[in-house]
Amino acid sequence: MTGAAGASDVPVPPPAEGQAVTRERAVGGRLAGLGQYAGFLPALVLYGVFFVAPLALIVAYSFWQTVDYNVVHDWTLDNYRYFFSVPTYLRTFWATIWVSVAATAITILIAFPFTYWLVRYVPRRIQGLLLVLVILPFWTSYLLRVYSWLNILGDRGAINRFLEWVHITDGPVSLFLYDRPAVILVLVYLYFPFAALTLYASLERFDWNQFKAAMDLGAPPRTAIVRILLPQMRTGITTAIIFVFIPILGEYLAPQLVGGTRGVMIGNLIVNFFSGGQYTRGAAAALLIAGLIVALLIVFRRSLEVEDPYRA
Amino acid sequence: MREVEVVSPHAGLVKALLGTWAVLVYLFLFAPIVLLVLFSFNANRYGTFPFTGWTTHWYSEVFGNYQIKDALTTSLRVAAEVTLISTVVGTAAAFPLVRSRLPFRSGITVGMTLPIMIPGLLIGVSLLILMTSFFHIQLSVQTAVIGQAVYTTPFVLLLVAARLQGFDTSLERAASDLGANTFNRLRYVVLPLIMPAVFAGALFAFTLSLDEFIITLFLIGAQNTLPIYIYTQVKFGITPEVNALASLLLAASLVLIAFAFLLPAVLRRGRNAVRAGRA
Amino acid sequence: MPLSEGRLNRADLLKLGAAGAIGLTAAGPALGRTFTRQATTLNMLTWSDHYANDQLKAVAKATALQGRPTLFSDNSDAYLKIKQTGSQFDIVSGDALWVPKYLKDGLTESFDLSSLPVSKQLYPIARQFPFWKDGSNYMGYPFSWSTVQIYYNPKYVKVKPDSWHAILDRKYAGKISLENLPTDVMAIAGLATGTKKPYSMSTAEISRAKGYLKALKPNVLKLASQNNEVIRALADGSAWIGITNLGSDDRVKDAGGPVVKQSYPKEGTVGFIDSEQIVKASKNKTSFERFQNAMQQAPWIAKNFITNGRPLFNEKAYKLLVNQGHGDRATRLLYNQPEKALKMTIKGPAGDEQAYLDAFNEVFGA
Repeated sequence: MTGAAGASDVPVPPPAEGQAVTRERAVGGRLAGLGQYAGFLPALVLYGVFFVAPLALIVAYSFWQTVDYNVVHDWTLDNYRYFFSVPTYLRTFWATIWVSVAATAITILIAFPFTYWLVRYVPRRIQGLLLVLVILPFWTSYLLRVYSWLNILGDRGAINRFLEWVHITDGPVSLFLYDRPAVILVLVYLYFPFAALTLYASLERFDWNQFKAAMDLGAPPRTAIVRILLPQMRTGITTAIIFVFIPILGEYLAPQLVGGTRGVMIGNLIVNFFSGGQYTRGAAAALLIAGLIVALLIVFRRSLEVEDPYRA
Repeated sequence: MREVEVVSPHAGLVKALLGTWAVLVYLFLFAPIVLLVLFSFNANRYGTFPFTGWTTHWYSEVFGNYQIKDALTTSLRVAAEVTLISTVVGTAAAFPLVRSRLPFRSGITVGMTLPIMIPGLLIGVSLLILMTSFFHIQLSVQTAVIGQAVYTTPFVLLLVAARLQGFDTSLERAASDLGANTFNRLRYVVLPLIMPAVFAGALFAFTLSLDEFIITLFLIGAQNTLPIYIYTQVKFGITPEVNALASLLLAASLVLIAFAFLLPAVLRRGRNAVRAGRA
Repeated sequence: MPLSEGRLNRADLLKLGAAGAIGLTAAGPALGRTFTRQATTLNMLTWSDHYANDQLKAVAKATALQGRPTLFSDNSDAYLKIKQTGSQFDIVSGDALWVPKYLKDGLTESFDLSSLPVSKQLYPIARQFPFWKDGSNYMGYPFSWSTVQIYYNPKYVKVKPDSWHAILDRKYAGKISLENLPTDVMAIAGLATGTKKPYSMSTAEISRAKGYLKALKPNVLKLASQNNEVIRALADGSAWIGITNLGSDDRVKDAGGPVVKQSYPKEGTVGFIDSEQIVKASKNKTSFERFQNAMQQAPWIAKNFITNGRPLFNEKAYKLLVNQGHGDRATRLLYNQPEKALKMTIKGPAGDEQAYLDAFNEVFGA
């Protein structure tokens, strides 16, 4: 590939592939070698100062102490020790992980049949419109979408009123709100479009003729799906899982608004520490979850590679 | 001989079941929205059931509300600056990402997506510490802009990089053979062809910025953007004015989307009409 | 041909979108300009029941001073925010014994109360609180007060809960709503476990208070961010018991909710007296007096009472309320007995704020 740097002002006969590169480098010299990275400069400044440095600070903070709202540079493992010594915090940490797993699993399970239907049975022209309809709720404020669930799940909310109206119950059933299931439900609601879009992008490329071929060869549809479709969708499904699971781990708003005292997630803990001036403890809690996320990203880095949406 | 399509005996049933599933999904997606709009007409000032009466009072409140106008202005200002920064930084960085010889390419890709995947909470909080405890600068709209830019730039970067990846370099080589230097190649060949991706990235950054909440919450000081205003109203539970505001925002987005969908058709018809006229 | 056609259309569309965005952005400041005119913005860090939107609007029109509120729930949050944000805020509201702490730590300034003509409308006792005096100056402009007590829905809570221990009953699992005020909730827990000085508990006392909270936790539906939320929970029936300010019964009724009754627990409870303070680093200090002079006028205060139901320190407003026919309600809610405010265990910073916050967080998680 030709680099952006390296000038060639003299018309020459088209060289062979490999030769072009060497010639350009020869012309530009060392500058061409470094110049090709020039585009990184603004990004390096922005991220070096405003992303890497603050995160490094957080790492450092997690090993320092807070005394009377001021941070003291004494190196210690106390913050981590404290965190692991409080049963409530540990419970919150594990709860965050299993809530995220549950929410992700449910989201994918709901999104997959939906996406399958969309790709398989809906005429191409309408597919775009139906996808837009999926994203449309996104255009209202995230906060308000969460808030409106309160009106559905609450004791005098839509579900309870409906149940009372058809006489299935005769008083409000307060199972629905301010607990983990409510948080999971709302998270599924919020992240469904992510899963649907990612699965759609992957499913859309599937060659349905393979299905026909399989069935011609005598395979029942279920076998066809399991042995032909799913393996080809593996990267798509993995990407969908990554795009849903990881953000949910760091969720803060949904648990705060609908979680009550039992639906607390680690994001709430972190915010609580930081707004209470407990920077060092907050940093330790933040690093625990950030570390998990980075580890997951490294393990699944291949799912992050992007393909050209404009390819012909 | 005509090909006979082998179809499973249950095909009709499966199709019906999946169709029903899709309908349920759409109900699930839109139920909260419908309720939201419904409650914007609820006379009950606490915005819950029971429905105490119908009113458009909250809508008139929205239009007379200084805080909403203030928040909207701030949101737009922030979004403009964020879009500018992300587009420039992201597009510039896309070139070396795709075209240069990079060691640890997958490592760098992970690094590039880190700002998106790391909880926004973390970005907000770490920048808060950096600004207040390290640089000792006051929180303001500018600090919020920086925080949001950190979050939105990777999106621009990924969109432009994806476009560049599929870019046909023979066009560039042809230009170079015809005597164009780097700058002219960029200006007349590369940039125009990747413009759709750049604009898509810019638009995306703009949209993300408008709805961004958690990073802004930590970094904006005493000002409000629209999401922060809404959050305060929701958290501190005031009136259905918020519902009215949300309904208005939804209506505005609907108009924009309809516009976006009808526009290509309109343009195409216009183009065809012109072409037919010329013929 | 169709392919490039499509590409061009997409580019056109995106260009239009970008143009629209730029247009909106350009219009933004113009929109803002039509409303700001010459007004100075005063950033207030306060509670939701300290102002009303129409009040801010009217005051802005009259004085060219536009109040812009940012809300908070617990005093320690506000304290930290002022500490961190320097001159961002001009006015901060604070409770009782927090006010001297703000002053001592150099975050606020005291002022001469008598230089505000509207202060003559206050009850004399409110101008003389010993803990707010700073020489001949006063540390804050007195606003409102209330005890924090139990409100319960008699339909579901058959026995009047007259003690903090009564609400530990498992019958009420998930049915109690209270405000997310760590320091004050710990203080209540202290009172419940027999502490004499709930805001300066020893480690042993903190530990006992924590035990009480652990027992209470399964009964707590939600830690509300402002008392509006507690009202809402009581109104829509998701909570049967609320721990909140005076006047909640009226507010619940206004929200279309059931009749709730009040109960004052025998171990005692805490209460607040709040005020508006000048932030020391503010750039608009000279506007404070003019602003408060407009905001604290009796008609606004009377309206505030009708909306929020707890007593305020403006005596003239009481007379207005009586004239308007709300005298019964005001008297019932002790509006004309501000001396009762001094009898409460008033809110303040804890001796060891960190230990209080830790204990609270360790129980409630976040």
